[in-house]
Amino acid sequence: MATSSSSTSKRMFSYLVLHSQTKFQHCEPHIPRLIRIGGGGSVLYSSNHNHISSQQQKRLQIKVYSSSSNSSDGNTDFLELSDEQLMNQCEMDTFKSSGPGGQHRNKRESAVRLKHLPTGIIAQAAEDRSQHKNRASALSRLRMLLALKVRNTLDLDAYKPPPELLQILPKKSLIRGSDTGPQIGHNNPKFASGMRSLLDVIYAVDGSVADAAKLLGLTTGGLSRLILSDDSLRLAVNEFRSTKGMKPLK
Amino acid sequence: MILSGFPRFIRCRVSPLSQNLKQPNNYLQTLSHSTHHHGIVSCLSTIPSKPISSSQLQIPLFLREPIYSATVSDLEKWKNWAKTLVYSVGSKFLETDNGPEVNTLYREIQWLLEDVVVEEQRVSTEEKVVKLRTEMDQLYFLWKQRIEKRRPFQYIVGCEHWRDLILCVQEGVLIPRPETAKIVELVQEVVAKDKGLREGLWADLGTGSGALAIAIGKVLGTQGKVIATDLSPIAASVAEFNVKRYDLQDKVEIRQGSWLEPLEDAKGKLAGLVSNPPYIPSDQILGLQAEVGKHEPRLALDGGENGMDDLLHLCEGAASMLKPGGFYAFETNGEKQSKFLVNFMMNHPKSMFQDVRILADFAGIERFVTGFCQ
Repeated sequence: MATSSSSTSKRMFSYLVLHSQTKFQHCEPHIPRLIRIGGGGSVLYSSNHNHISSQQQKRLQIKVYSSSSNSSDGNTDFLELSDEQLMNQCEMDTFKSSGPGGQHRNKRESAVRLKHLPTGIIAQAAEDRSQHKNRASALSRLRMLLALKVRNTLDLDAYKPPPELLQILPKKSLIRGSDTGPQIGHNNPKFASGMRSLLDVIYAVDGSVADAAKLLGLTTGGLSRLILSDDSLRLAVNEFRSTKGMKPLK
Repeated sequence: MILSGFPRFIRCRVSPLSQNLKQPNNYLQTLSHSTHHHGIVSCLSTIPSKPISSSQLQIPLFLREPIYSATVSDLEKWKNWAKTLVYSVGSKFLETDNGPEVNTLYREIQWLLEDVVVEEQRVSTEEKVVKLRTEMDQLYFLWKQRIEKRRPFQYIVGCEHWRDLILCVQEGVLIPRPETAKIVELVQEVVAKDKGLREGLWADLGTGSGALAIAIGKVLGTQGKVIATDLSPIAASVAEFNVKRYDLQDKVEIRQGSWLEPLEDAKGKLAGLVSNPPYIPSDQILGLQAEVGKHEPRLALDGGENGMDDLLHLCEGAASMLKPGGFYAFETNGEKQSKFLVNFMMNHPKSMFQDVRILADFAGIERFVTGFCQ
C-alpha cells in the first residue's frame, strides 16, 4: 500500500486514512467510495469494496512521499491552508452534463464535489440551490473530513499539545493555561483543528482514553465527555477503538 | 404569448401590493416606490423607456406574505402527488432534449416547499398546521405547469439562487446561469489589484435580472459604480427591483436601452465592461431544452446566424467605451466563438486591446474572453 517517489530528498509523511462510515448531515447518500492517494508524482488508487478486504477497508496505513510541507514539524497541515489554497489542492467536479452549457441549459445542477488530491478525500454538497454556496459547504465538510481522517504521527515523549487543541479542552484541564481563552465548542469552525490534534493523540496512545486524558491533564471521564459531545468525533474515536478491539465510548 | 396562459391570475393575485403590506416590508415598499419614480431611469437613457407597471412585476413566492395555511397531511398529499407526476416522467425529458432528470425534479419539489412553507404550528393535538405563502390549489397548479409545460423552476418560484444572491426572475428575463458567476470572480481579481478599477465606473450590458451588475456593485470600492443596460423593459424593471432588494440604488443604475446606446455620457470613461450577451446561433434555438427554448426570452438567447452578432457589436464598442487600462470580460458560446473574438480583437485595424485571454468555465468550456484597453 505504499507509493514511492524517485526522489529521495523528499520528506516522508505517514497518513492514516480511515475509511470511515461517518455520515454528515445533508450529505448525499451515495458518496463514492474512492480513495486516491497521490504523492511525488505517483498515484495509487485503492477503490471500491470489491478490491479491499473488510479489514483493509477499515484501516489503510499508507506511506506517502511528498515534496512539500506546510508545517515545520514534518506533518502536513491541510487545515492551516486558506480556502483558496485548499481549493487549489482539489479537483472540483460539478456533476457537469456534457453539452454546450451556458445559455443552452437550465438544469439547476448545482451540486459540487471536491476531491482533495493529496489525500483522495471527497466532500460534496448538493443541498443548496446555489453552486457558490454548495462549494462553500463542500469545502467546510472537506476540512471536517481532513480533521477526522488524516492522522499525523506524534512523538509522545516530547509531546506538547498545540494551542488549537488546548482551546477545545474544558477549563478543568490542568495543562490549559489561563491565556488559552474560552473553550471552543463544536459549532465553532476552529473546532476542526482542535479535534484533529485530539484524534492524533488518541491514535498515538492506541485508543486509550485514560492515557490520552493523562497527556491532556484531564480525568478519563472529562475526556470522554468531550469526545461524546461531538457526533463525528465520537464516531471517529469509536471506529478506531473497534479496530483495536476496544469497547465503544457511550 | 407564453405569458398569456397563467401570469394573468398570478398578476391579479399580486398586483394589489398594498394588501400585502400589512407588515412593512422593505422590498415591497421599494418596489411600489420604484414604479412611481421610473422617470429617473428613463431620463438618463437615450431611448425613451417604456416602464412596465407594477402589476406586471411578479412577486416571487419567498417574498409573499404567509397568509395561507394547510395541514401537514395536505402538504404530504401534495408532495406525494408531485412525486408521482415526476415518476411518470422518468427519463423522458432527459431523452427528448437533455432536460431535467427525476432526481433534479425531486429536489425542486423540496425547494419549492422551502419557498412556500413558513413554519409548523401545533394548533391541536391531532393535526399540525403550517403557514403558506400561496394557496394549496396554487401549489398543484404550479407543479402541473412545471411538469406539463416544462415551465422553468425559477419562473415557478420567481427567483434564482446565484452565487450568494437570490435574484428575482420572471418570464421575459433570462435566468442567470452558474457559469456567468465566473465573470464576478474575474472582476474581483482585477479590482483587488487596481484601485482605479475598484473605484471606477463599470457597465454590464444586457443585464437581464441584474445579476452581474449587482454582484460587481458589491465587490467595487466606495466610489465604484455600475451602469447596467437592457433593451427589455421587463428585464430593466426586474433588475431595478433586484438592485433595490440589495439596497444598491446608489451603486447600480439601470438604464433601459440597446447595449451601449444608453451610455453616451460614459464614453471613454469606463473602468470595466462586462456582458453575457445572447450567443446561441439562431438555428439552434429550436432544439434547446424546453425550459429554455419555450420559456426564456429569445432576445436574451439568439445571437444571430453564427451567434456572434451581439458579441462583435460589443467588441467594436468596447474600445471606444473603455478608458486606458480598462478591463472587459465577455461570456461566449465556447471555444469557437472565444477564438474568433480574440482573433477579431487582435487583428482589428484599430485594435486597442492587450493581454487578451480566453478562460474556461467550471465545466472546462472555453467560455470567457477578457482583456484590457491600451
